[in-house]
Amino acid sequence: MRQFFRQLNWWIRRRRKEEELMEELQFHLSEEAEERQSESAARRELGNLALLQEATRAAWGWTFWERLVQDVRYAWRTMAANKAFTGLAILSLALGIGANTAIFSFMDSILLRSLPVRDPQALVRLSWHTRGHAVHGIEYHDSYVDDAKIGMTGGGFSYPAFELFGKNDSVFSSVFGYQGAGNLTLTALGQAELSSGEYVSGDYFRGLGVPPAAGRLIGPDDDHVGAPAVVAISFALSQKRFGGPERAAGQSILINDIPFTVAGVTPPEFFGADPELAPDFYLPMHTSLLLQAPNPRHPPASLYFAADYDWVDVMARLHPGVSLARAQATLAPQFRQFEATATTNDRNDLPALVMAPAAGGLDSLRRRYSKPLYLLMALVGLILAIACANIANLQLARVAVRRREMAVRLSMGAGRGRVIRQLLTESLLLAVLGGAAGVAFALWGIRVLTLLLGNGRENFTLRADLNWHVLAVAATLSLLTGILFGMAPALHATRVDLIPALKVSRTGERRSRSMGGVSLSRLLVVAQIAISLLILVAAGLFVRTLSNLQSIQLGFHRESVLTFALNARQAGHREPEIATFYNRLRKRFSQIPGVRSASLSEFALMGQGTMFTPVTVSGARNGGSEPGRRSAKILAVGAGFLSTMEIPILLGREIDERDLHDAPMVAVVSEEFARDHFGDRNPLGEHLRLPTDRCPKCEIEIVGVARDARYGRLKEDPDWVVYLPFGQPAWDPVSRMIYELRTSGNPQAYVHTVREVVHQEDARVPVADVKTQSALIDGMISREITFARLCTAFGILALLIACVGLYGTVAYNVARRVGEIGIRMALGARQGAVVWMVLREVLILTAAGLAISVPVVAVTSKFVASFLFEMKANDPMAMAAAVTILGTAAILAGYLPARRASRIDPMLALRHE
Amino acid sequence: MSQKPPARVELLQGTLDLLILRTLLTGPEHGHAIAKHIQRTSQELLQVETGSLYPALHRLEAQGWIAASWELSGKGKRARYYRLTASGRRQLVSEQSKWDTFSRAMGLVLNPEEAQ
Repeated sequence: MRQFFRQLNWWIRRRRKEEELMEELQFHLSEEAEERQSESAARRELGNLALLQEATRAAWGWTFWERLVQDVRYAWRTMAANKAFTGLAILSLALGIGANTAIFSFMDSILLRSLPVRDPQALVRLSWHTRGHAVHGIEYHDSYVDDAKIGMTGGGFSYPAFELFGKNDSVFSSVFGYQGAGNLTLTALGQAELSSGEYVSGDYFRGLGVPPAAGRLIGPDDDHVGAPAVVAISFALSQKRFGGPERAAGQSILINDIPFTVAGVTPPEFFGADPELAPDFYLPMHTSLLLQAPNPRHPPASLYFAADYDWVDVMARLHPGVSLARAQATLAPQFRQFEATATTNDRNDLPALVMAPAAGGLDSLRRRYSKPLYLLMALVGLILAIACANIANLQLARVAVRRREMAVRLSMGAGRGRVIRQLLTESLLLAVLGGAAGVAFALWGIRVLTLLLGNGRENFTLRADLNWHVLAVAATLSLLTGILFGMAPALHATRVDLIPALKVSRTGERRSRSMGGVSLSRLLVVAQIAISLLILVAAGLFVRTLSNLQSIQLGFHRESVLTFALNARQAGHREPEIATFYNRLRKRFSQIPGVRSASLSEFALMGQGTMFTPVTVSGARNGGSEPGRRSAKILAVGAGFLSTMEIPILLGREIDERDLHDAPMVAVVSEEFARDHFGDRNPLGEHLRLPTDRCPKCEIEIVGVARDARYGRLKEDPDWVVYLPFGQPAWDPVSRMIYELRTSGNPQAYVHTVREVVHQEDARVPVADVKTQSALIDGMISREITFARLCTAFGILALLIACVGLYGTVAYNVARRVGEIGIRMALGARQGAVVWMVLREVLILTAAGLAISVPVVAVTSKFVASFLFEMKANDPMAMAAAVTILGTAAILAGYLPARRASRIDPMLALRHE
Repeated sequence: MSQKPPARVELLQGTLDLLILRTLLTGPEHGHAIAKHIQRTSQELLQVETGSLYPALHRLEAQGWIAASWELSGKGKRARYYRLTASGRRQLVSEQSKWDTFSRAMGLVLNPEEAQ
């Protein structure tokens, strides 16, 4: 190391060093001359001064650096002389390395980084697993996994179960729970806005080990009935609403009109235990008693006693030295015993406790993005491979042209190592430039990917950035690619048989028997075509999946519908006035010019969630559905909902203005529900009951049958759906409602008018989640949309790079054979024959690539099967399309040089010799 | 006929470094003096080529075994004086013991009768 710095120091002072050497030798000369009494004798003794200086300089240890500088300078000149080649090479490398860097930065932030908390490895996440299925509850997409084969896995526990875990301090040093509080109206400094909150138990911040950025965070003393109402807010919210964490601590705010004190602010890098949710503020769990709307049939306090109502997400911190397996073994029997006495579940199917490491936070982000990212990483890796093959190929062609130069250098005594070094320097310089451009491209790519993956969500917390390990990966990639595509041509170029190489004319090694370079470059082209087909097939599969998804028969008309959410209960509206308020708003919306009709429902049909519960039918063929078999989806709707969504009524009537909260209870059922329960009989006038604790005895009359429409899930067949008028006693009291406005023209044009109308009716009610129904549906298939777009872009990129490679190889071969073609034409070969001669080579190369690739595709495409919808992984259409596109592109790329070959003037070509 | 110069011995590869280090053990010297000292003490059997002396000096300096500084020579001229560093001293000890072993081994093989 010291030696290196000494060399560096000398290198910096090299001019001075040279002078010193001169002076030293001068001194030696004068001493010698004095001794011998003769200057000329002294000079003779000294010998060749220049050689001596050169040898001494070598001892200074810079030769390596000096040569490097020479090589880089020479490489730079060569590159500058071939601008087209250099530009193309750097561009394709930059795209390849940039795409890899961008995707890797996402993998880094999702899959590799841990929660920003103390000792994240000791955190575990608790969940349960049953073999059966839920029969009633709320389903948001991705809230839990429900699979016909493996049963159901979920995260929520009842509060008593949560307390049970907390009591057991032999394995855990801390157990804490949390639950999303949804969007609440937060009024700070006189301004009301909707912000997302999270209920957290008293030990949440201590258990995670998160220090406050200002003030203090929520502790166990804050989380019980009667404690002063405090809230911890996120760093971002403190900046947005108060202008900084220091100013926020201690402030008074209103949440849903209830006064709270800001106790403190969380650190900027903390987004909650589930980074995807990223709440704006954290409330002590028991404040839910203050905030949740009084509900006569469901006192909120029962949440804390009911053992069969699962709602708390639970995480825990292991004691040092306690393994996950031991914790699981200790707690699982206790939980089983608890469930056996507490739940109403089938005794043979009690939920079992499952523990998983939680260092990366909740796995919802990972579950959603890890597989897509691995897939994208594989695709961009392939693109980089094509780019490398391309540059290797271009290098090979160029090296072949430079064969004479190499021969001259070697014959003048340059070592083979030295020439290889020179060529490698050129490759590495290309790679470094490509890598630098790639990082710039990656910066842009990360922004685009964030937009694509976030798909318009405002609180999308997946923030990828360039950090040192991402940059290290980019640098490694550049160097590796540089060596990869530089080594083969360099080795090849220096294995020159000097004499024939020196003899050839400047146009190249026309008569060279050595076909090594040519066959290597052909091999590279074949590989490129094979890899391109892989990517094109992937693109084809995803595009077809997307089009399958977009052509699903929804059962309603998705275009020109504006949706938005209003929550009158949070603004203080109560029964029975709240229903009147919602109905009055519906009327006013339907009077807006251009709005064809307006209605409201508890959820939008697509893109939000569903409620489901078992239904018993009186007089049904088989006595109705039994609990545990199949539930019906329930949607509470306002007047005119079915006609607004354009769901046709097959029998009877739809839910309309007369079905008020105190009117007779009615329902409209879906076609499939009617068919499965009543067969060919007329279901009108029959009654059904919802055996839940809301109103188990309420008799609901069926007044209509609607055609099947999808509600909640896009990818599965329509379920049984029961539409109920909102506000009637058989179903939950209303709080938040979604309005649907069927408009003429662009729905977004009505947003302003809607806000004005709501403001006039009640300024305390904010308009939230304004979206079109189409956008909601697109949000559900955002992954498929992203994949289709990205893979199409990747496919085009791969095709482009491969075609450039093919074109380059063919053009080079044509240039090499100018003389031969000239002779053929002079002897009477037709233009068509010449074109065919060149094209035949292209076709052989393409066919070879396809022959390798098609079986590979057939085997590998099953890895993407889980991303596809209503199609098999080895879809013949996608394969045929990819082969056609690739074949056409290859012929086009080959035709240009072929045509040029056919235009060769025989006279000129022969004179070339 | 002029007087016949004494028969010179070609320096073995790598031995010059050892000779320079040994010479500097007695104190700092400049290049010319080092060469003369080797010549004198070897009774003119070893002739140090200037063409290899200076590269060797600079190589040793790059390795950190000797250090150089500009000082006035006995005749009042500026000269580059080399002196042994601590690591150079260690190097000298190890090189010298290696050389001793080597020359003893050579002697044993070439003159077996003397060894008995």
